[in-house]
Amino acid sequence: MSAGSSEMKDLMASSKWLDAHYDPVANLYTFTSCVALADLHGDGENKLVVGDLGTGLCNMKLKVYRGTGLLSENTLLDLPTGLVSFLMEQHEPRTPAVAVASGPFIYVYKNLRPYFKFTLPPLEVNPLEQDLWSQAKEDMIDPMSLKEMLESIRDKADIPLSARSLRFLMLDLQEMVTFVNLHKEQPIRRQTVITCINTLKKNMADEDAVSCLVIGTESKDVYVLDPEAFTILSKMTLPSVPTLMDVTGQFDVEFRITVACRDGNIYILRRDSPKPKYCIELSSHPVGLVRIGKNVVVGCAQETLHGYTQKGKKLWTTYLPAPVTTMGLMDLPCRGFQAVLVALSNCEVHLYRDKNLLSIIKTPDVVTSICFGRYGREDGTLIMTTKGGGLIVKILKRTAVFDERDTAPGPPLAQSIRLNVPKKTKLYVDQTMRERENAVAMHRAFQMDLSRLRLAAARAYVKALESSLTPMSASLSEPLKMNAVVQGLGPSFKLTLNIQNTAASRPVMNLAICFLYDEKLYSMRTAFFKIPLLVPGLNYPIDTFVECLSDKGISDIIKVFVLREGKSAPLLTAHINMPVSEGLALN
Amino acid sequence: MEVPMDPLFLAWSYFRRRKFQRCADICTKVLEDSPYDQESDSSLLMSEATWSLKTRALTEMVYIDEVDVDQEGIAEMMLDENAIAQVTRPGTSLRLPGTSQGGGPTPAVRPVTQSGRPITGFVRPSTQSGRPGTMEQAIKTPRTAHTARPVTSSSGRFVRLGTASMLTNPDGPFINLSRLNLAKYAQKPSLSRTLFEYIFHHENDVKNALDLAALATEHAQFKDWWWKVQLGKCYYRLGLHREAEKQFRSALNHQEVVDTYLYLAKVYQRLDQPVTALNLFKQGLDHFPGEVTLLTGIARIHEEMNNMTSATEYYKDVLKQDNTHVEAIACIGSNHFYTDQSEIALRFYRRLLQMGVYNCQLYNNLGLCCFYAQQYDMTLSSFERALALVSSDEEQADVWYNLGHVAVGIGNLPLAYQCFKLALAFNNDHAEAYNNLAVLELRKGRIEQSKAFLQTAASLAPQMYEPHFNLAILTDKVGDLQSSYAAARKSEEAFPEHVDTQQILKTLKQHFAEL
Repeated sequence: MSAGSSEMKDLMASSKWLDAHYDPVANLYTFTSCVALADLHGDGENKLVVGDLGTGLCNMKLKVYRGTGLLSENTLLDLPTGLVSFLMEQHEPRTPAVAVASGPFIYVYKNLRPYFKFTLPPLEVNPLEQDLWSQAKEDMIDPMSLKEMLESIRDKADIPLSARSLRFLMLDLQEMVTFVNLHKEQPIRRQTVITCINTLKKNMADEDAVSCLVIGTESKDVYVLDPEAFTILSKMTLPSVPTLMDVTGQFDVEFRITVACRDGNIYILRRDSPKPKYCIELSSHPVGLVRIGKNVVVGCAQETLHGYTQKGKKLWTTYLPAPVTTMGLMDLPCRGFQAVLVALSNCEVHLYRDKNLLSIIKTPDVVTSICFGRYGREDGTLIMTTKGGGLIVKILKRTAVFDERDTAPGPPLAQSIRLNVPKKTKLYVDQTMRERENAVAMHRAFQMDLSRLRLAAARAYVKALESSLTPMSASLSEPLKMNAVVQGLGPSFKLTLNIQNTAASRPVMNLAICFLYDEKLYSMRTAFFKIPLLVPGLNYPIDTFVECLSDKGISDIIKVFVLREGKSAPLLTAHINMPVSEGLALN
Repeated sequence: MEVPMDPLFLAWSYFRRRKFQRCADICTKVLEDSPYDQESDSSLLMSEATWSLKTRALTEMVYIDEVDVDQEGIAEMMLDENAIAQVTRPGTSLRLPGTSQGGGPTPAVRPVTQSGRPITGFVRPSTQSGRPGTMEQAIKTPRTAHTARPVTSSSGRFVRLGTASMLTNPDGPFINLSRLNLAKYAQKPSLSRTLFEYIFHHENDVKNALDLAALATEHAQFKDWWWKVQLGKCYYRLGLHREAEKQFRSALNHQEVVDTYLYLAKVYQRLDQPVTALNLFKQGLDHFPGEVTLLTGIARIHEEMNNMTSATEYYKDVLKQDNTHVEAIACIGSNHFYTDQSEIALRFYRRLLQMGVYNCQLYNNLGLCCFYAQQYDMTLSSFERALALVSSDEEQADVWYNLGHVAVGIGNLPLAYQCFKLALAFNNDHAEAYNNLAVLELRKGRIEQSKAFLQTAASLAPQMYEPHFNLAILTDKVGDLQSSYAAARKSEEAFPEHVDTQQILKTLKQHFAEL
């Protein structure tokens, strides 16, 4: 224990970070994909650009921070799914543009002003569906048959329905007519949405080179867009919907797009192949994806972190103490240092280089987005936003050194803990001596007692079976089980009988319940009633009420019998020990 | 000619021989001949004495030692306004049995009662109490005599005692309290005490008793410790714990009496201040070294706070003073049994047998101890005797349940099956038997039955972790991971340190995360 804990303390105590800013009520609700750092004004000072998700329904905003203050706010029309900053052209001044992906659109902002809106190309519409709607336009089809036809298309056709038809199928009968009248004039379209966005250098590897946009869509496609004309340069198709994306290389030379998909696989796309080149099959869903050099680090829903090569070969696995919320790359080019930041749901951010844990940052809340880079004029800045809408800014100390250490533990700690096994007493030893000496006699006595006991048990058992005393029936045709609960303080009690049919598949019917009690002490409204058909496996609670008539503080047993129609012997019996009535009866 | 004995002397003699009914009858006759109210000087003293004797006789008939009787009612438990902090610091409260600091036994080794306390070796009123978590649990019917059923404060006993006096006297109660001039009696110290006890114990009219005690203590110029103790008793009955505490404290200033210490400790336990009660007991021990009741009190508090080692220490101290103390012997014995030293437990139970305790429970315990201490020749004969001595169905169920355990131990599963079923036949709510029966059914491959039994066991005894855990394993094997997870969570709640539950939870979480 000592070695492990001191090491953990070491990781945390010598803090390598300066707390630059913490605003717990910054009202920023966002994810890693919607955070970027960029020198938006070309003044050499990097700003923080955040696509704020607001409450998810309203208050979606594009926010820009400088230092600790908010610089500007632009309202967004829809939820942002991704945000990147990129250089569009070679003109001076070289100020980057901001692209915000939301729904099927990419909004491009220059100098924080709306500049261009790109719309994804519409998808092919099912001709049958098209037909149906044109019929509806001419009122040649009534809503009911339209619904039926659309349903058959939905179930069979290869090309899925448009959003409008799907919405139509969800409606109630009375709403259908108005819906058709409202929408029948417009042509139907099938639109997909963007799930992730990233950038790819066009033809130069420089820091300030022109970049293309790379987007992944719900229709399982990946597009590469031209930065100036916003035309589609390349289109690639994946077997599943992309969720996380990482891009490296140059479009004109050679590039790799690493895409984590919703089916739990990671696909690697390369130039000149419309299909993925490699595939990594994960054992659980990916939560974060970061590329370091030529390796890919994936955080999984199973509280694990995996390292893979570019070609999909697994290198290592680390087990994390809590589920991953998000991941980010920590890149310090001036020191040649690269590591992965992993935010966990136990309010910690772990820093990993390969499989080694370098440092732990404790945060006051669960971190949902993480971004490391140059902010203002400071190179090593870590920006995090939290689940509660807080903003944390930390600066890496210039003196901070991350010494790498193999933290793979030695033998498990439990090995060195001594078990508290009680000592055997002298008495015990004496008794074992006796046992050794008189083994034969003891064995005989035990065997004789055992046969007597077996006889006694068998007798009692047969008696119990014959009079069906047990609360579960022994017969194979009606395997029933009953237990009773009494509630109340008296003089009125509520009796709940829980009856269950324990057969595998056969229901039991034609049963009745009868009570036997001292009529001087108790009264029941119905002492005999039938019970419904019992479906196997379900518990049937049956309530009745008992009135206690005596105020002497005495109690008795009430017997419950479950009877089968036409048979006088009960199937099973339960004895209810009635509690003493603690209230006095009203006369 | 025979000289008749003086009737008053005869009554007194009967009283001393504890023949209270006859004593009361004679007193009634004497009082009929010379009514107390109408007499003048000479015979007044005489009839006063008769009257006093009759009250004493009637009181003695129903007298219960107040020190030992402590049953917390539902109203007191659920609507307790003294409880301020809901979350107590470990080791300062009787309410959270889980907060043990003395390394108490785990539920895997020693079973727990409905309120989550390890079962004790000796059933007494306070071992049955303990706070139920919910109103539902509070009003559910008791399983057996050993359950955690709380009683209402106007419980059966008090009600019965109050009304019994009316039944026995055809022409109404002996003393009509509403017409009594309490102030007059409070002036007469010789009469007031017996009258007080009569009102308090026989009539069970705490309000009038309190009035009388208040007047009497005023008459004694607040210097009589006895009246202060009585005042405290009345306040305690009425639920005014702080006032009771004040009276007992003040009584202790006048006179150190063991009883007063016990009453005061009772108040502190009711106020959920076990540490103060412990200090008080220790203070009492300074004045009365080696007093058995005080030592027992300390041991009981330690036991209730789940600190078995110190409880055992104090019970041993009790035995040094009084080596026939049944409670101490039984508690030490059961503690040894549950710490895997059944051969020593056997010695303690044998001692009880030598002392003349001769009942079903004792033979039941002896049988189990013999079995686990490998004295096989005595095991089954002990159980046989236990079966012969049973006085109720519950006891019989417990014996069959233990026999089922022995049968499992020797590998005779059909016999075990019969035994557990018999246990259930005698006690329909035996959750442990349901649980064990479910395991046997599962071995036979009857999954539906097994599941139904486990669910029943879980609903009968939510404090047991075993049915939840077994259900988790069963549903896991069937493939119903969601139910398995729910059951495992309940098991974890009942027994957080259970390693197997943790493991099953871990594998389930892995299942859920996997693709």
